[in-house]
Amino acid sequence: MAGTRDLEVAGPGAVALPGVMRRLLRRRAAAIVLVLLGLLILSAIAAPLLTSYSPTALAPRDRFLPPSPAHPFGTDELGRDLLTRVLFGGRIALGIGAASTVIAMLVGTAWGFIAAMRQGWTDEILMRLADATMAIPTILFALVLVAAFGASTVNLAIIIGLLLAPVTARLARSAALDELKSEYVLAAVASGATRTRILLSEVLPNTLPSLLVLATLNAASAILTEASLSFVGLGVQPPEASWGTLLFQGYQKLYQTIWYAIFPGVVIFMTIWLLNLLADQLQSVLDPRERESSRA
Amino acid sequence: MTVQGPRVARPPDVRAAASPAASGAPVLDVRNLSVSFATPAGPVTPVRDISFTVAPGQRVGLVGESGSGKSLTALALMRLIHPPGRVTGQVFLGGTDLARLDGRELAKVRGGQVAMVYQDPMSALNPVQTIGHQIVEAIQIHADLGARDARDRAASLLADVGLQDPLRRMRSYPHEFSGGMRQRVMIAMAMSANPALLIADEPTTALDVTTQALVLDTLSRLVAERGTAVILITHDLGVAAGFCDDIQVMYAGRIVERAPASRLFRAPVHPYAEALLQSICDLDADITTELPVIPGQPPLPSALPSGCAFHPRCLYALDVCRTTEPAPFAVGTGGAMAECHRTDERIAGVVIAPVVGPGVR
Repeated sequence: MAGTRDLEVAGPGAVALPGVMRRLLRRRAAAIVLVLLGLLILSAIAAPLLTSYSPTALAPRDRFLPPSPAHPFGTDELGRDLLTRVLFGGRIALGIGAASTVIAMLVGTAWGFIAAMRQGWTDEILMRLADATMAIPTILFALVLVAAFGASTVNLAIIIGLLLAPVTARLARSAALDELKSEYVLAAVASGATRTRILLSEVLPNTLPSLLVLATLNAASAILTEASLSFVGLGVQPPEASWGTLLFQGYQKLYQTIWYAIFPGVVIFMTIWLLNLLADQLQSVLDPRERESSRA
Repeated sequence: MTVQGPRVARPPDVRAAASPAASGAPVLDVRNLSVSFATPAGPVTPVRDISFTVAPGQRVGLVGESGSGKSLTALALMRLIHPPGRVTGQVFLGGTDLARLDGRELAKVRGGQVAMVYQDPMSALNPVQTIGHQIVEAIQIHADLGARDARDRAASLLADVGLQDPLRRMRSYPHEFSGGMRQRVMIAMAMSANPALLIADEPTTALDVTTQALVLDTLSRLVAERGTAVILITHDLGVAAGFCDDIQVMYAGRIVERAPASRLFRAPVHPYAEALLQSICDLDADITTELPVIPGQPPLPSALPSGCAFHPRCLYALDVCRTTEPAPFAVGTGGAMAECHRTDERIAGVVIAPVVGPGVR
């Protein structure tokens, strides 16, 4: 029989997501956002193929050139092609953004789910810990941690990820608490499901939409936090450069050339804006009421 | 007396373990079960010291108004009452005292030996998982089956409950199903581990009447084939009459009458059972006739009347009813009983003049 082989008996979550991309692409605004974000990510990945310049080779004679066909974004104080610098900077900025988002989602979701499931003292301790972390401004906290542990790319990703985890934990906990009150969780308990199974099979798939939206917002905060840290010199260290570093260097040379600061700034702004737009679009696509009507 | 409601066709062989005699060791033995909740105003006890047994293959109806304690009884049987709720008494399932089981053992019993079907299948099914995923999961909790075997098993279960083209249906989500189909899926899931006892909590209340009869037919056929005992919780006497061997009428947290279904409808002993039967509306009656109602309100568990909890609404109440709570009086043999001070007079068919008139609160 035809249906037997391709029948999905998939792991938790696998069922909820495949339709999301399709539904997003069906909306024009969402499709545009996705394409632009896709281009941004692709350009970072394919940076060496997109430019003939090296991001680090110096050309002192070409300092502070304005945009031209040879250098679309102009050049910096050492004659490096700014477009190349921005493309390679994107690798670091987006890489740290993605890594810390994954860390934030994994740690935060586990944190929130355990609090929701165990309740009582465990819940109190875990959530007060989250509150305490959230009470300190992220940038300030990040500065302290970076100063203490050093500013390597890996450290940055871990620190930013962990700092975003408490917010994720809060959302994961409240979403999980809602699910745990539902009748299908009661039905699952009554059919003999264990706690782990209930979390993975009932709670996680149902909270995935909210978590997905939060992940997008987290990615935006992560990129912004990294840029801010790099701007104040505690992020990515030279000769590597992320968007934040470029912005800071451009800001210092504002009297020599205006382009240096504009391009990294615009790219950061566009990325954050696109991610926030994506979160918006995801939110409305994942809204179960709209989903029902678009399926019917 | 005419009882309106779905008639359930039953295969002839299902009366094997039927009422009133319970043959062999009971599947379920409930002794002195109470459910209470601590409130700021003191403890409230919505289920008060009830005891009953269910024999293998027997179908017991638990009938009563909203708030009489039917559903709490079911949750207590599954040990699903959580603090601040408190359960006392014993529940033996196949000879095992459920209170002695730890979490892991309890999980084995739930869904394995005793399964449950709920009133609203839409909210009891996970909205974001396919039907197939959910039923396969229910199977795999209790049977050590690989993905392929579990899937085949799921398909055959769905075919058993009357779903056409089960393999295709398994890829659908709950919201793509009709109410009746969802309830069939719930039944298939509940029966997936071949439980000895099925608790059906208002399984047809959310369905329209034609679907009700079909779903009940399916349920009836399945439990008959597998010899599953059933506790059917319902407020619909018609449903209970068609489906059950024995009926227990609950009022204010007590079982006030237990009787074979046929006898209860012919000759109820407890005045509350009688009043319930009288309030079934007669569809042939003139539309100008007022619908019969039981005067007064069911009591709140926090403010039970003294003596017999039904006495303020009872047509036959005596002084003793106001002061003393009636003990269960046997009605014939075979475990039928009624908790009424005037049981003997009622059985004897002595016409009892109402002590207070109808409509008096």
